[in-house]
Amino acid sequence: MGEDIELDKKIFLPMAKAFGLDTRDPHGEELYAYTRNVFRDFKVTEDIDLTDLEPMATSVLPKE
Amino acid sequence: MDSENSCYLSVAELCRLIRKKEVSPVDVVKAHLTRIEAFEPALNSFITLLPEQAMGEAREAEREIQAGQYRGPLHGIPIGLKDVFQVKGVRNTSGSKIFDHFVPDFDSTVALKLKEAGAILLGKLNLNQFSYGTTGENPDYGNMHNPWELDRVTGGSSGGAASATASAQCALAMGTDTGGSIRIPSALCGLVGLKPTYGRLSRYGITPLSWSQDHPGPITRTVEDCALVMNAVAGYDPRDTSSANISISDFTQALTNKIKGLKVGVPKEFFEEPIDSEVEHSVRNAIELLSQLGAEVLEISWPMYHESKAISSTILMAEATTYHSQLMKQHSSNLDPKVRLRLEAGYFISAVDYLQAQRARRLFYQRSCDLFKKVNLLAGPTVPIPACKIGTEEVQIGKTRLGVLPALSQYTRSFNLTGFPTITVPCGFSKNGLPIGFQMAGKPFDEMTVLRAAFAYEQATDWHQRRPMISKQVTPRLYGV
Repeated sequence: MGEDIELDKKIFLPMAKAFGLDTRDPHGEELYAYTRNVFRDFKVTEDIDLTDLEPMATSVLPKE
Repeated sequence: MDSENSCYLSVAELCRLIRKKEVSPVDVVKAHLTRIEAFEPALNSFITLLPEQAMGEAREAEREIQAGQYRGPLHGIPIGLKDVFQVKGVRNTSGSKIFDHFVPDFDSTVALKLKEAGAILLGKLNLNQFSYGTTGENPDYGNMHNPWELDRVTGGSSGGAASATASAQCALAMGTDTGGSIRIPSALCGLVGLKPTYGRLSRYGITPLSWSQDHPGPITRTVEDCALVMNAVAGYDPRDTSSANISISDFTQALTNKIKGLKVGVPKEFFEEPIDSEVEHSVRNAIELLSQLGAEVLEISWPMYHESKAISSTILMAEATTYHSQLMKQHSSNLDPKVRLRLEAGYFISAVDYLQAQRARRLFYQRSCDLFKKVNLLAGPTVPIPACKIGTEEVQIGKTRLGVLPALSQYTRSFNLTGFPTITVPCGFSKNGLPIGFQMAGKPFDEMTVLRAAFAYEQATDWHQRRPMISKQVTPRLYGV
């Protein structure tokens, strides 16, 4: 969902239903607002150049 | 010695007295249980109390010590565990009524190690539900209260661990830290809190929040106590897939009080963030003191620091939602509404988002490790504000208005992403008498340098010797003090 930073409500609602979430208001509206904010926060990571980088796994810290 | 003074003895002082048989574990545990009885209605540090079990263990400890079977510095010491460390036969709620009757049939590795060291468990400590919060507020088991001012938050998620240790309801506590949950409450309650290197302490038997960022660690009143606890709980555990098979030092050997020549990097990005002026003043004074003690202080830049918080949140939210997905299908309406929102929002993070975040994490980790080619430590504030009032949703810091969760974890989250060992120590008080914390981090598995610097700083100050005046804040008629 990273590209859809604004997260249109028309996209949000069917997705939320597909995830089995309660979309009735006021909870649905609250969740929509919260999720939009989360996406907005993620935007800062979009410009990082990740060329040639593999994902970090859980047990990767260097050992002795 | 009166009861209050005996409960405020450090673990190091208490263990010397117990070893020399000048103090009995039975009397020590009794004094702490009396204190719990007096202050627990005001503090709400515990979810489950174990007075009878604790007294039984204290009598056993006394018998062993009298028979010459002294186990070491934690023998007979009263402790608390955040209610996510599973203990055989003791209910483990993780801060949710959904698990009000869940009783594990095995010990978490940390609980087992503490038991083997002879520590006496007084009870299981309150927390933000599932460790998913930074304030110490819990609608199921009640809010935790800051001993320095009872209408203030303790910080979280290990809020009960901090309030119990700061109020001397226990001598030490164990917490967990996924985005600051040891360091935030330790800073807001005037304590020492260590998030050891990821992999240094076993996560086995601890309710997860975010597998790749969860760190168990001690909350204590002094740095020496922190080192003593680390000696008991650190080490490889094959039952934890991320446990590091790496040699362990005697952590007390770090307490040399010598930091001459130590290079301390202060990321300039820390002071570009919104920060309360009193906190900034105290932290800058602490950095200056390190310099006076012989450290070489350098201003540095921490690449990707600002982005690291979003990377950390992406990973945390995806992992937390994955872990709790079955629970959410059946119990979503029984969750703390704030926790429910965070967990449900996690569904919208795609596999691509998560993996991109893990790629960005690798880059951040590499760049952060590079900093240690120039410096031995990173230093800065732990939390940008003193404890806010319970129920606060947003805080104003200078011209910036922030949600309380991101505000309190502003300086701590990046260290969960890297796994670096990070300690907070008290470095001052606000005009209102609320504690302020100072954070130092080292390279992976270099807890020794972190403890060395923290100890030298602590020994040059007296912040850790102050005590909250709880009895002046509660009604003696109600609490009998």
